[in-house]
Formats: sequence, structure tokens, C-alpha cells
Amino acid sequence: MATNSAAQANVIDIKAEKIRKDLLLPVFHTSRRYYVLVFVLGAIGLPGMFVYAYQMYEGMGVAGITRPVFWGFYITNFVFWIGISHAGTLISAILRLCNAGWRRPVTRCAEAITVFALAIGAQYPIIHLGRSWLFFWLIPYPSERGIWPNFRSPLVWDFFAISTYLTGSLTFLLLPIIPDWAMVRDRATGVRKRIYTVLALGWRGTPREWHRLEVAMRIMAVTILPVAVSVHTIVSWDFAMAPVPMWHSTVFGPYFVAGAIFSGIAALIIAMALVRKALHLEEYLKPLHFDNLGKLLLVMSLLWIYFIFAERLTVWYGNQPAEMAAFWSIQRGRFAVLFWTMICCNFLIPFPILAIKKLRTIAGTVIASSTIVVGMWLERFLIVVPPLEHKYLPYDWGSYRPTWVEITITVGTFMGMILLYVLFVKFVPIISIWELKGGQHAKPIAEQANATVNPAAIRLDSTLPSTNS
Amino acid sequence: MAHRWWGMVIDLDRCTGCEACVAACHAENNIVTVGAGQAARGRTMHWIHVERYWEGEFPNIRARFQPVLCQQCDAAPCEPVCPTYASYHNPEGLNAQVYNRCIGTRYCANACPYTARYFNWFNPAWDKPLQLQLNPDVSLREVGVMEKCTFCNQRILAGEIKAKAENRELRDGEVKPACVQSCPTTAMVFGDLNDPNSQVSRMSRSVRATTLLAEVGTLPKVTYLERESSHGDE
Amino acid sequence: MNAIYGLFPDANSARRALTALRAACSRFHLNPKAIVIMSSEPLEEEGFGWEEERTPMPWLAPLGALVGAGVGYALSDFTQRSYPLPTGGMPIVAMWPTGIIMYELMMLGAILTTIVAFVIATGLPNYKKRLYDPEVTNGKILVGVSELDSDCRAELEQLLYQDGAEQVKEFSNG
Repeated sequence: MATNSAAQANVIDIKAEKIRKDLLLPVFHTSRRYYVLVFVLGAIGLPGMFVYAYQMYEGMGVAGITRPVFWGFYITNFVFWIGISHAGTLISAILRLCNAGWRRPVTRCAEAITVFALAIGAQYPIIHLGRSWLFFWLIPYPSERGIWPNFRSPLVWDFFAISTYLTGSLTFLLLPIIPDWAMVRDRATGVRKRIYTVLALGWRGTPREWHRLEVAMRIMAVTILPVAVSVHTIVSWDFAMAPVPMWHSTVFGPYFVAGAIFSGIAALIIAMALVRKALHLEEYLKPLHFDNLGKLLLVMSLLWIYFIFAERLTVWYGNQPAEMAAFWSIQRGRFAVLFWTMICCNFLIPFPILAIKKLRTIAGTVIASSTIVVGMWLERFLIVVPPLEHKYLPYDWGSYRPTWVEITITVGTFMGMILLYVLFVKFVPIISIWELKGGQHAKPIAEQANATVNPAAIRLDSTLPSTNS
Repeated sequence: MAHRWWGMVIDLDRCTGCEACVAACHAENNIVTVGAGQAARGRTMHWIHVERYWEGEFPNIRARFQPVLCQQCDAAPCEPVCPTYASYHNPEGLNAQVYNRCIGTRYCANACPYTARYFNWFNPAWDKPLQLQLNPDVSLREVGVMEKCTFCNQRILAGEIKAKAENRELRDGEVKPACVQSCPTTAMVFGDLNDPNSQVSRMSRSVRATTLLAEVGTLPKVTYLERESSHGDE
Repeated sequence: MNAIYGLFPDANSARRALTALRAACSRFHLNPKAIVIMSSEPLEEEGFGWEEERTPMPWLAPLGALVGAGVGYALSDFTQRSYPLPTGGMPIVAMWPTGIIMYELMMLGAILTTIVAFVIATGLPNYKKRLYDPEVTNGKILVGVSELDSDCRAELEQLLYQDGAEQVKEFSNG
């Protein structure tokens, strides 16, 4: 075999039986560490729910928001989580449409992040309401009270966009899981067998079923992309549609979508690294995956710094007094520390790590991703709060300080996200078994005589048959 | 009867910054006093408040007072953003706030360039026996609901009912919101902008007339008459 | 229903069996549509089994999108015009927000249509006792005949073994 060792490292050359065994192990076997982890996550996260109930009971006044900063942590978190949810779409949909073989072990990790981040993010528009219990008035349903949503409001657009995206990404996640659930069903016993029999929907694996599944996935991939772009554009318009200095900017649509994909890929890399470590999937999630995602992350980091520069330069050149007050407060004033931390976290630290091939290892990309996740949260915060602190009339300028209520609820939702993901890993194989094995058969049989690489191995860098190696 | 289009003129030359309008508004509209702690956090509920700006250097310092209230904008940015139509434009030109529809997204307050909107951070409460002085014509708001100046809509309605009962038109200056009524220097004038002869219409055509944040494009209906001395030295 | 099937260890043998079965259709009076294949991964890339698969799904999705757009239009336009709320002279129905709502519901229409089409086209969920063997998810490919005359059983069994079946089993749910 003429492959060198570096290429060997990028080949998944594992017997099918071992693939099944490795990837189904977490579903069938629960370690004590797992129970401890779930308990800890629940214990830290659960107070968030009680604090939310407290906030509803006492009033929004227990949070730090005030006049004029009427939106704070909750909206920051909302935008942050919706942004993270763009991970799955990019990886799954675009790479699926581009026939990139290396996406196969990664798709389900990514799609799971999307669904759960959306579920968490969609809580925040409810949490931040002054009268949370009436959130359903945003749903257009006939009532005798004469309540009807105002379709002009970006918040109503949010409701439609996020509902559509959640439906789409749930479908995108659940459809390809069916064959894997059939696999679990066939191996399970007792109660588990009954549950997975129901979940597997009677899947047998006939060509008809596979064909329809593949067609459905292709349609979903094409459909989910415009939805994802529209979702974060509409979220950005929550800000851009209001005449607040430094919010009312036309760049917000593309800026937010780019930032979303950026933070999404970073979250995906972190999730993949954690899953790889915890479930011993070192043979499936190879350095190549992190390398490729790291390259994508580098591109998004450059795109992000471009947007930040373009936005800030135009504001500075415009020199409008109201905008400059917010501008200087971010760059030199109260928020300077956060601003420059954000620049470091989103660009100065990740750029060399991701640009230099030697540093773009698994550890390197994880470090870069961690700083990026922090930096992107800060970016959302700096978009929401400083412009509200400095609106047009200086007499009304104010300041925002979060209280323990907001911090507890924020921490609660972070823990909730991790908990959802941890539970997901238990009930579903985190790497799509059939897609992984399907990738092994990328070469037609006739070519096998010419190939010198083991035909049963998956070449991660290409799905096209290699005529030599 | 021509449709009314309510507007207000505030003569900054006459405003002394006494804040009688603020007190009167509180009394008329059942606005709660939030206490020192909440006030320090910026959560006062003054539907009309007097902004004071200092001009000049010592010893030539002047204080400039500007009462700011909801400008009842004709192109109000708070209206399209409310998801439940709690903030809408009524046929008499007022920007109305429907407390029952408000679910407290606070988007309207962010969109308002004058931040003339106030949120009920807690359930308003009055220590006994102060609840006896509440105005029965104005509904109380609960926690989580936005509120703001309504140009004393209850007085407008009362005036219109009285005029109809007496089979006549409303006279100019008959309806006075609480702030207009209580101003000791009559710096504030209220009336129908659709009537070209009303005092408010005539004053809003004055050479000194400006609107606050005109460049934002909100088309506010409160006209401020600049101080004479703003045009030169005192 | 009486069925006979063989479990094949890899795609090559399964393909041989399929070809042989198809060729033997006339000899054994088999209905070509009764030949079944089951596998734990899509065999499309192996180049067999999908020749006759057709589905209108790719056309149904745009149709569903159009329906969704129509629903979006109806939701924004008709409802707001039927119960107009005062807007102080501004239009009751605004064009661009209606467009955004139409767009979102259009995409939702496409998504829901795909889900429904998938459910109908695959026939899932189906929990009835049907021809299946758990060895399929162990990596074996199942090739067999689902409607069987008992006369040809022995010959079919031999044919399947000849083409490389590891096991030949029978299935009955009658």
C-alpha cells in the first residue's frame, strides 16, 4: 500500500462490526460517571428554573435591566444561542450538498447542537417578557379578545422564523436517526427494545425506504439553508429596525449571519472534542475533521473581523454625535475592556492558531473555539447594551448592571444545553453509523482492481475514487 | 366635525423647571413613586420629566429646562415594533398604549428615541391611605406592562362627552391635560392641530418653533418654542 | 405470506443473488416485484437495487412551498383586512412584513410537505409483523422472495446458497 502514514491517519479503516460496537456502546452502557455528570448538570442548572419563577412572581425589577437599557442579558443570550444553532446547518446541509465525505462522522453532532441551541434560545424571548405567561399572544389564533399579532413587528417575524427553523432542523436531525434506531432496536432487550421499536417506526432497510430517506435529506438540505440565513437575519432585525444609534445599521443582517456561523462552528468543535474524549471516538473523529473545521473557522474569523471593521469605520467616519457616544463608550469607555477582550478572543488569538497548519491540531482548534465562544457572547452583549445606554438624549443615558437573577438564569440555560446534549448522546448514537459505513462504499466495484488503498476504507479527504495513492 | 389631531406646544422661554407638571401627572394618572432605591437605578416613572441642561461656563452658566413627554409621534417608531398592537395610533392622532395587550417585550421603549416610555418593574403599590387619592378615571397597571403619557386621554374623552351632551363643539383650550393645567407660567398649550385657528396651531407656526430630534423622522406632535436668548447672547 | 430469504455477507454476493433471482423469475413463476432486498446502509453507491425507485417528492416540496406562501399571504393579508386595527392612517397591511411572513411559511410548507411525503412514501411508521431479520443491522444483506409457492422452495434455497448466502431462512406471518 503506497499510502504514507499521514494519509493513513486520515483514513477510517475499521471493520464494520467494530464501528457498530464502538458507536452503539454509549447507548447500551451507562457508566457511573455519566450519572454523576447528569446529576451535577441538573443540580447547577435547575435553580435557573426556580429563579425564573421568582422573576415572574416578583416582577422584572429583580433583574438588572432598567430605563433606558430595557434589554440585557436575556436578549444577549437569545441572540447567542440562535447563533450557535447555525452550526448544524452549515456542516450538514452545505457539506451534504457539496458531497464532502469528511462530514459523515460530524453531521449528527452538528445537527444535535442546532436543535438544542434553538430550543434553549427560543426560551429567552419568553423569559424576558414582562408578562411571560402571555407569550402565546404572539401565536396567531382566533380569540374573542381581539388579540392579533402585529405582523410589522420583528418579534413576530422571530416567532415564525424560529418555529420554521426548529421544525426544519428537528426533521433534519430525526430523519437520518431512524436507521440507527433500527440498529439499536435489533440489539436491545426488554423495555429498551419496546421503546426503540416504536422509535424506529418499523424501519427495515428496503431500497424504497433508503431512497426516500436520501431524497428527503437532499430536499431538507436545500430547504434548511435559506431558512437558517433568514432566521438570523430576522433576529438581527430586532435591533436594526429600531432607530437606536449603532443599531440602525444595514450591515446587521449579513453581520449576524456570519457571526452565527462563526460561533456555531466553534461550538461544534468543542462538542466534537468533548464527545471524542468522553466516548473514546478517536478513530472516528480524526485530526482531519478538526483541521477542516478549523480552516472554516479561520475563514469565518476573517469574515467577522471584516464586518466589525466595516461597521465601526463607517460609524466613525459618519461622526454623528449620538452614534459616537455609543462608539467611544465601547472602544475607550466603560466597555473598553470587554471590547478589546472580544477582539482578542475572536481574532487575535484564534487567527494564528488556525492559520498556522502546525498549530491547527485538535487541541489548537479547541482552544481557538473556546475563546471564540466567549468572544461571540461578548460581541452580542456589546451589540445590545452600549447603544441602549447612549441613546439620543444625554439626560436619559443610563447604565446596566446584571443581577444574580440574570446570571443564574444564564448559567441555568448553559447547563441545560449541555445536559440536553449529554442525554442525547445516551439515546442516539452520536455518529451516524449508516452514513459512516455508507461512505465506505464510495468506490464502484470495478475500480477496486486499480486502487491500492484498502477499498473498504473511507478516505476522508474525498469521496471520489482515487486511482492511485 | 373635522377629525381631531391633538398636539402640544411648550414655550421653553417660560419654563422655570418647577416640575409642577410632573407632580400633576403623577396625581392625575395614578403613577407610582418607586422609592429612592429604584430611582437610583433609573427606574422612575415620570411620564413627563423636566430635563435640565447647563449651558456656558462659570460665571455665565445658564440652566435650560425642557419638559420631555411622549411626543405622540405621527411616524412613531414604537408602533410597528409592538408584537401585540399594544402601541397603536388612534384616529385622533394619539399614540395609545393598550395595557391589556402589553406582554412586556419592552421593544417599544428601546425604539423610542426619547425613551418616553416607562415599564412597571414591580406591581405598583400605594401605602394606605394613599390609595384613596387614586384617580378613578385612569386604570391601574400591573407588573410587566409598559405605560406612558396619553395626553390625559381620560380628560379628552370627558371633554368630548360633555360637549356632546351640551350639543356643541369642543372649545379650544377646554381640554387641558394635567400638566398643561398645572403649569404656573402657562408654558404649555394643548389643542387641536387640525384647527388652524387654535392656539396650539398658531403657536406651532412661530419662528421659534422646533421639534425634538426632528432628524430621526418621528414627526412628533409636541412643538418646543426655543428660548429667545438661544439666538444670541443673553 | 410465506417468504424465503438469504443473508449475504457483502454487496457482491447479494448482487449475484439478485441477478440470479431476477433471471429465475419466469422459471419459478415469481413476481419480480416480490423480490426483496434489505440492508443496513443505502446500496445506491453499489449500483443496484434502486433502478426502479421513483418518487414525486422533489416536486411535492416546491408545491408545498407554494401552498405555504399562500397560507402566509392569507394569514397576513386577509386576517388584517377582516379585522382592521386602527393605525392612524398608515396602511392596514404592510407589504414587506407580509413578504417576510410569506417567505417563512413558504419554507415551512416545503418542510412539512417533505415530512408528510416521506411518511406516505415509505409507509412508515409500520409496526405490523413483516418480513425482516435483525441480522440486517449486523451488516448482512437480505435478498429474498416474499411471495413463495412451496413448490420452488428447495430450488430457491439452492440458488441462494449457490450465490453466497450464509444462511437461508423462511418467514411466515400467516
